Amino acid sequence: MNYLLSIFIDFFANFGIPKEVVYIIFPIIPFCIVAAALILVVLVLVLVERKILALFTQRKGPNRVGFCGILQTVADAVKLLCKENIEPNVTDRILFSLAPIIAFVPVMVCWGIIPFSSEFDFISISVSSLLFAVIAVIPVIGVILAGYSSNNKYSLIGSVRSAVQVISYELPIMFVILSVSILASSLNIKDIILSQTSMYQVCGWYIFPCFLGFVILFVSSLAELNRCPFDLPEAESELVAGYNTEYSGMRFALFFLGEYAMLFVSSAFITALFFGGFLSPFGFYISEKIFNNNVLAQIGIYFEQAFWFFIKSFLIVFLIMWVRAVLPRLKSSDLLKFSWRILLPLSILNFIYICLFKYIVMIGGLK
Amino acid sequence: MIKKIYKSILAIIIGHITVLKHAFKKRVTLEYPEVKPLLNDKFRGEHLFDINKCKACGMCQKVCPANAITIIKDENGLNEYSIDYKKCIFCGNCYYYCNFNAIMPSSNFELACSSKESLVITFKKAEEA
Ligand code: SF4
Ligand code: SF4
Repeated sequence: MNYLLSIFIDFFANFGIPKEVVYIIFPIIPFCIVAAALILVVLVLVLVERKILALFTQRKGPNRVGFCGILQTVADAVKLLCKENIEPNVTDRILFSLAPIIAFVPVMVCWGIIPFSSEFDFISISVSSLLFAVIAVIPVIGVILAGYSSNNKYSLIGSVRSAVQVISYELPIMFVILSVSILASSLNIKDIILSQTSMYQVCGWYIFPCFLGFVILFVSSLAELNRCPFDLPEAESELVAGYNTEYSGMRFALFFLGEYAMLFVSSAFITALFFGGFLSPFGFYISEKIFNNNVLAQIGIYFEQAFWFFIKSFLIVFLIMWVRAVLPRLKSSDLLKFSWRILLPLSILNFIYICLFKYIVMIGGLK
Repeated sequence: MIKKIYKSILAIIIGHITVLKHAFKKRVTLEYPEVKPLLNDKFRGEHLFDINKCKACGMCQKVCPANAITIIKDENGLNEYSIDYKKCIFCGNCYYYCNFNAIMPSSNFELACSSKESLVITFKKAEEA
């Protein structure tokens, strides 16, 4: 980031603009990049989800709008934005409008925390993985507000279910993050990623010592994202559409956008913790070989890192969608039982095992 | 307990593999306006009415549960026969009960049109000059 900032200051110095002004306008750039990337990724994700579900159920999926249907989500988005913003009569006006914003804004902050390449970490603090885990649950407050303010029993039940889900699946996530940070000796996501470099390339990824942790984090993320088989807050067959039953138009679009952006950013988080984030799986960067270490290679590496990050995250997203195509929805009580009786003890066991692993294998404590 | 967990994990994995197999099978989607679906022989679509066979006995009018058929008779027999597709539910009673095979089913199901009037199909006896 500092490297980029210096380029930026130099660029504006040519036009005689003082440093202080540049410092103020500099944060706008990451914001714009995040916003653009978020909307693009969501547009792609929705299409990919529909295509993948079609693939698994022997259908063709959207294939009319544009070449092979690639413009379908754009058409849907335009339709959604042009729709009327309907507001039920007896609602809490302020909370009703506030809820989608609260559900969406933290997702953007989460996007800023994830380092998509070794230079582009927009919010860089030493405890960024903890910060991510904390901010990632704030959208639930928006969901609760939405359920409470829309004066609809289905919305309320949906939002209460969502809250219960998050409370019970937050603990296992924290234990997994702790165990990974013990492996990496750091709570910063970038450091965690960089500590996965090893001379055995792929074998350095934390998926190998901590496979159980990956499974726990994956399942818990499914629950936090309200995805199948834990999509109780939006169970169509029981609750109409769950907490967003009363929403339409732009506000619904915000919920929708937040949900899919969170889906991607959670997969990115899993990628960062267990699959080496932006590290290349070959142990070297292709652009390094192509451009022979000149200036282009240095820029190319950043793009290549982002490329690897996106590829790996999309693989996780594929896994999540695959799970959606297979598993039926859980009962509400089973969901809680599964979390408190199986996942939480497992995650504590995993934590102890990782501590021992770190002490014995990585530090060589017994010698 | 452990056996139960093992079994459920196995079931989940088998389920995933089964679903993955479906990804490589032939698609079942028909792209409708270009590819028409294959219909059963007994499909009940638009009626084929043969005005020369009809004896204007009124049976079809009586059995029609939706009152979709109107028959106007004059002294020579049948004058006008009309089927109202706004009301018809394609139950098939009319051709099941017709003794003279004057009314038969066809496989044409594309009856959509842009005006209410064109949904009422009227057959008139040709004037014998
Ligand atoms: S198909 Fe049934 S509803 Fe339609 S005209 Fe014949 S008897 Fe009436
Ligand atoms: S039952 Fe047959 S013959 Fe009799 S009126 Fe109807 S179509 Fe004509």
